[in-house]
Amino acid sequence: MKKSLVKIIALLVAVTVSVGLFTGCGKKNSDKNEQGQTVISVGGWPSKEGATMDAFTERKNLFETNNPDIQITPDTWAFDLKSFYAKAAGGQLPTVYNVHFTEIASIIDSGYSADLTDSLKKRGYDGMFNQQILNMLTKDGKVYGFPTAAYVLGLTFNVEMFEAAGLLEADGTPKQPKDLYEMVDFAVKIKKATGKPGLVFPTAGNNGGWIFNPVAWSFGVDFMEQDADGKWKATFNTPEAVEALQFIKDLKWKYDILPSNTLINGEEMYKTFATGNAGMVIAAGDMPGRMVKYGMTPDQLGIMAFPAGPKRHVTLMGGTFTAIEPNATKDQIEASIRWTESSNNFKLTSEYKTNQEKSIQNQLSNNQLVGIKNMSVWSKDSEALKFQHQLIDENANSNPNHVRLYNEFVANCPAELQAEEPVCAQGLYSTLDGCIQEVLANKEADCAELIAKAASDFQSNYLDNLTY
Amino acid sequence: MTKKPTIKPKKLITRRNNLNGWILMLPMVVILYLFIWRPSVMGTVWSFFNMKAYTVLDFCGIDNYRKVLTHTQFLPTLWNTVQYVLWSFVIGFLPPLFVAIMLNEILHFKGGFRVLIYTPAVIPGIAAMLMWYYMYYPDQTGLLNMILGKLGAETQQWLNNPDFAIIGITIYSSWKGLAGTMLLYYASLQSVSVELYEASIIDGAGPLKRLWHITRPAMEGIILLNVVRQIIGVFQIMEQPLAMTSGGPNGASTSLSYQLYQYGFNSGGQGTGQAMALGVIIFLILIVFTIFYFWLNRKVEDRY
Repeated sequence: MKKSLVKIIALLVAVTVSVGLFTGCGKKNSDKNEQGQTVISVGGWPSKEGATMDAFTERKNLFETNNPDIQITPDTWAFDLKSFYAKAAGGQLPTVYNVHFTEIASIIDSGYSADLTDSLKKRGYDGMFNQQILNMLTKDGKVYGFPTAAYVLGLTFNVEMFEAAGLLEADGTPKQPKDLYEMVDFAVKIKKATGKPGLVFPTAGNNGGWIFNPVAWSFGVDFMEQDADGKWKATFNTPEAVEALQFIKDLKWKYDILPSNTLINGEEMYKTFATGNAGMVIAAGDMPGRMVKYGMTPDQLGIMAFPAGPKRHVTLMGGTFTAIEPNATKDQIEASIRWTESSNNFKLTSEYKTNQEKSIQNQLSNNQLVGIKNMSVWSKDSEALKFQHQLIDENANSNPNHVRLYNEFVANCPAELQAEEPVCAQGLYSTLDGCIQEVLANKEADCAELIAKAASDFQSNYLDNLTY
Repeated sequence: MTKKPTIKPKKLITRRNNLNGWILMLPMVVILYLFIWRPSVMGTVWSFFNMKAYTVLDFCGIDNYRKVLTHTQFLPTLWNTVQYVLWSFVIGFLPPLFVAIMLNEILHFKGGFRVLIYTPAVIPGIAAMLMWYYMYYPDQTGLLNMILGKLGAETQQWLNNPDFAIIGITIYSSWKGLAGTMLLYYASLQSVSVELYEASIIDGAGPLKRLWHITRPAMEGIILLNVVRQIIGVFQIMEQPLAMTSGGPNGASTSLSYQLYQYGFNSGGQGTGQAMALGVIIFLILIVFTIFYFWLNRKVEDRY
């Protein structure tokens, strides 16, 4: 009697556990629900209750009222390259989600993103987007994303440290370093005045190479080119690249303006700056959201133009766009674009107005800096954009002069805007990370030797191995 | 005639036990299938294909292996991995043994010490790594540099120093792993008969002689097994360089498994095939040690 009881329990446990393992493996969303509404899931939904989640819920409710044929399902997965491929291969991506420009090549090349060309055309977007931005989201004439924000790298600074070093005018406008070498001078002054590192430069997690790119472009470096047979060649074994690397090396050994830690990935970089342990950082106009995490208040934070280099004045253009999962149906794609429009519209709709106001209120309640006006994604003057800028002016929660130079830099950009390198960008960054770490760890490092090795390594480890 | 009825029920019971055993094992078998066996087999198969992220493109023979083996960082990374193993013996091999013997010998507060020594093993991995990351932090705010500062010595670069990165990580790993290994040794010490010690004391043997003539022979087997276990374990080191050094400076602490992770997740989808090929290469290296481990395990078990 007792034995059979044990057996039954064992069997039950076994069956439950095994069945439990398989649930959740199935493909989740179908195109329509029972009411005939098109169902789309939206990624990047906040998982924590609070102001941000409330803002999302309100946006959803408003959208569903205005679009009775669409139902929104929240999905808390936010784009992350590490989980993206597995999610995509398993058919588990949300229908629509936000991505940074940095990952666009990886997404398009892997074939895990829906082609939006026809749907965008149908909704009247021909010729509407800024062509340079649209080019970044286009491959072989097909558009794979709806650009929602664009920004360029600038020079972010700590207001208090600038003031201490005498680099702030009376009205709060910072002095603008005209070139990279003057930026170093500023850093030296900051270090002298505050004892803190004047600049934090990333070195690890591919972020070092990423930020090194625009610096090197400013020195006149071309990283790669495609020859007549379509083969890619690394072209940066040049005196210019050596000079650019020497510039990084001097930050540590000649000027001594960097933090002692020389293994700094993206997060560590923002943290070092936002906790007041560096006077400047090269970052784009989307940085307030990153800084607020570490308790940096709006009045401590400012941003200005990216300094020119010895050869060129150039900055890296970045941004975010919405992408749509590859298996989405036509209806789902259209619904996703309409959802995107509810908060990113060329036309000034009342829904857009409400959502923009909510979004700014949400930033204010998070004590995040409001005042930065990013690049327009549109090719023409947009009423909606004008409204957004007006909203930013009205709600600025810090001295507008702290960010004025950046806003002017964006609005009327004197610098060339360059997109990321077209192929193997991550491999290039990781190769360059190694060079940067070496010159910061080793006073005797030979920049010419390192660049020569990096160029040949990049060629043989990445460019020669391109499979698609 | 009388034999038959007695055999039948026995057979039945064995068969029933067999069934019970299988039912109890089923969940584990399913888990192993889903998370170990299937991925291992699929990974091996796919390592011979061109992959577009996780989409299989076409058969490419040993091309992925060629790419992995000719990567200019492959040999330095392999050597780093071997260094991890070597340093783990220099730094981490004796302490657990020493602590186990010490714990076995002390008379008072045994329970208290056991708990104290086991604490590092209970701290979650990433938390412990961050703790050590900040202890090693290369400016004045790092604990080790603070201590050096108080002593009037010069601050050190710690994990930022290419020559120290692997050693520093190994010190952390040894600290974290000490308790687990110690427990194994401690358990095997418990099985040594007290009478042997009593007899040797009467014969006039000192602590060192007791250690050599009684403890050592009893522990030899488990120590040997641990040597192989440690090689297999440390060879797969990944999280530590990921969390503490990002594999740097300039690749100085990149291990094979960390390189695999880079191929798999940080290559913009281009490296999936290479990640699988490198996985197979690591598997082949470790299978040699694993076979040796099982052979040794049988030998050791036969002795007792």
